[in-house]
Amino acid sequence: MDFRLGEKAEEVKQEIRTFLAENFSEEDRKEAAEDGGGHNWELYRKLAAAGWVSAGWPKEYGGGGRDPYEILTLYWELCKAGFPWIGLLNNGFIGHTLMVMGTDYHREHFVPKIASGEIAFALGYSEPGSGSDVAGARVTATQDGDDWLINGEKMWTTTAHTAQYIFMLTRTSTQDRPHRGLSIFLVPTDVEGVEINAIHTMGGERSNGVSLTDVRVPDANRVGEVDKGWSVVRFALGLEQAMGYADLQERFIQQAGAWSLEAGPDGQRPFDDARIKEQLGQTAVHAEVSRLLRHRSTWLAAEGKDLGGKGAMTKSFSGTSYLDDAQSWMDLVGPAGLLKEDEDGALAGGNFDEAFRQTPVNTIYGGTVEILRSLVAEVDLGLPKSR
Amino acid sequence: MDLSLDESQQILVDTFSEMLEKECPTTHVRDHEDTGFSESLWAQYCELGANAMGLPEAAGGLEMSLLDLGLVANLSGRALAPVPFLEVATVGRLLAKVAPEDAALGALAGGVPAASIALPRPHAVLGTSTTSGGRSLIPFGTIADQVVALDGDILYVAENGASRRSERVQDIGAGALAHWNLDRASDARILASGDEAVAAMRRADAEWKLLAGFWLTGIAQRALTIGSDYARERIQFGVPIGGFQAIAHPLAECAIRIDGAELLAQEAAWADTADPDRFEMLCSMAFAWGSQTAIRTADIALHTHGGYGFSTEYDIQLFYRRARALSSIAGGAKEELQTVAELCFDRDGSGKAASLLGGAQ
Ligand SMILES: Cc1cc2nc3c(=O)[nH]c(=O)nc-3n(C[C@H](O)[C@H](O)[C@H](O)COP(=O)(O)OP(=O)(O)OC[C@H]3O[C@@H](n4cnc5c(N)ncnc54)[C@H](O)[C@@H]3O)c2cc1C
Repeated sequence: MDFRLGEKAEEVKQEIRTFLAENFSEEDRKEAAEDGGGHNWELYRKLAAAGWVSAGWPKEYGGGGRDPYEILTLYWELCKAGFPWIGLLNNGFIGHTLMVMGTDYHREHFVPKIASGEIAFALGYSEPGSGSDVAGARVTATQDGDDWLINGEKMWTTTAHTAQYIFMLTRTSTQDRPHRGLSIFLVPTDVEGVEINAIHTMGGERSNGVSLTDVRVPDANRVGEVDKGWSVVRFALGLEQAMGYADLQERFIQQAGAWSLEAGPDGQRPFDDARIKEQLGQTAVHAEVSRLLRHRSTWLAAEGKDLGGKGAMTKSFSGTSYLDDAQSWMDLVGPAGLLKEDEDGALAGGNFDEAFRQTPVNTIYGGTVEILRSLVAEVDLGLPKSR
Repeated sequence: MDLSLDESQQILVDTFSEMLEKECPTTHVRDHEDTGFSESLWAQYCELGANAMGLPEAAGGLEMSLLDLGLVANLSGRALAPVPFLEVATVGRLLAKVAPEDAALGALAGGVPAASIALPRPHAVLGTSTTSGGRSLIPFGTIADQVVALDGDILYVAENGASRRSERVQDIGAGALAHWNLDRASDARILASGDEAVAAMRRADAEWKLLAGFWLTGIAQRALTIGSDYARERIQFGVPIGGFQAIAHPLAECAIRIDGAELLAQEAAWADTADPDRFEMLCSMAFAWGSQTAIRTADIALHTHGGYGFSTEYDIQLFYRRARALSSIAGGAKEELQTVAELCFDRDGSGKAASLLGGAQ
């Protein structure tokens, strides 16, 4: 066995740390947290110029051909540093998907522009009436000559307000079972009929609701066959679930550890309190297990092996353990834990407050933990389908 | 990165699985609940070289890695094998390092499970002590004639078990536990003192916990199989109960935690040579997480059975009890998590050491 990510990943780590040191200041970090949109064009274009947006795409399509361990490291370092990286993540997925499942037109017209950082995409699966039941989408696309007209409401379309396009799941047929009548379109955000409204969250992340009224999209913007969009979505969703939040867990525990070793107002180190020590140990174990599960998903992907429920395991464990820890810590550290970063008396740079507000969503988006557990029960334990 | 076993490890797994399937069904485990030790099964282990696997060649051993030992411990946990594999492996390796000429080593290498270990408990568990003069509950203390212990910075062997050990004391895990009087004043052989002694016991403690982490993971894996098999077969309200999310989701959560426990134990074993700075911390993590996972999984699998899980007739209670016992004998998870924190954040007590999170590259 070998648990190392390898030399190339180590090089990426150094490269990204250098990039961050040169381009991403403490001020930028705070601004990104304040903004919560998950994307910053200026920073994003710098990453694109250095080849990072297309780093994981196959070389034969003009991608960087970086291996999954290098991409893991790229995301890990950016995320841990508080870099607004959702745009990078989405576009990495979508560029990859378009290369594999798109048309020549997509590969010539969209892919190079994604790679260069000229355009960005948001993910438009969820709707007011369909979240976990992704295939229950009701936004319709109806053919009109060579074009399609799109109508309805999308919900939780994160980064739609900064993106030029939405990678959108739509209903093109109601004749068959729900997941058989879906199609994917690349819908521009700056055309008539698109209205984008901010949705703010407890964690500070900003998302969007998108309403669509007779939005005209050329047939060339369709990805995959008509009514067969489900396989495209499954491919992209799978990529997302295999990740989890081990990077954030590592940052959280490192800050908690450093805080606990400094003497507090009473002159004592929190570390020397057995309750704190035990919680530090628990959080460290959770972070290590999350990291290992994520590395395993990455290894399976790199080896071209079937992930089964292993991707779902990664996200499910990471999401729940991080949430548990954030809540347990809040119960331990007393009232000062409630204070936000930069408030007088805040603990560990607002570490506990931030984690407490942000972790609930980790068990919700990208597939709720309930949905993921059902998947593991079916795929890995062979239990009957449960609903 | 390579998370697969190599060919020789796969052969090792196949060999022991086959032997245990044949020689250690749960009826065999039940038949030995009155002693906690199966002499005939231990003979089978020795036949396959398990007693000397981890010893150096000079001591008559096979010089196999901790990962190899861990694989055997994992299978032993799945089978609930009533044998002193952990103690023999740990004490043997300790002796080979600090006292290669010691007669007790010869006995272990020859297959006689004559020595056990008093695991140090840094966070003062109530009612137990490992220091000289103290009484300590010793795993396989009923069959051992000698126990290795640390008193301050003196590593010694408490000899003459007949005069030191109590009768077998019955415990939740139906183990082979006895109280030992570890008094160092007489019948004690000093192995090492000073830093060397402390380091040797730390190392032995880490190795025992690592192997126990594998063992506990094995208990959890088997308990999960029993639980999910039952969930597929038991019909209520006209359908298999595994179709109820209240049954399926907790089992799925266990499957996830178990995969983590297995990876963690394997990483720790691998770190022995590949990432030595993190080795001790990872061993401690493997034990803490193995404990939590095995105890939780046995609990969930037991409750999956409803009332039958509580009856002695069903096997799941064997796992429920032994998961708890193997964890508690070394102090339990809450105690161990404190050790994890110390090893991770404050290795030298200065508060200045870099944390050991993040892993090797
Ligand atoms: C901050 C944020 C950003 C997001 N970004 C995006 C984005 O960029 N693009 C996008 O498309 N979506 C995005 N989402 C949407 C996200 O994927 C959904 O919120 C999620 O899939 C859950 O759907 P829902 O909110 O409609 O909850 P529901 O599906 O209504 O679920 C409600 C509850 O019921 C449970 N439940 C539902 N079905 C089952 C079942 N079969 N078995 C057991 N329990 C069940 C759920 O687990 C949950 O606890 C985002 C969400 C948030 C909060």
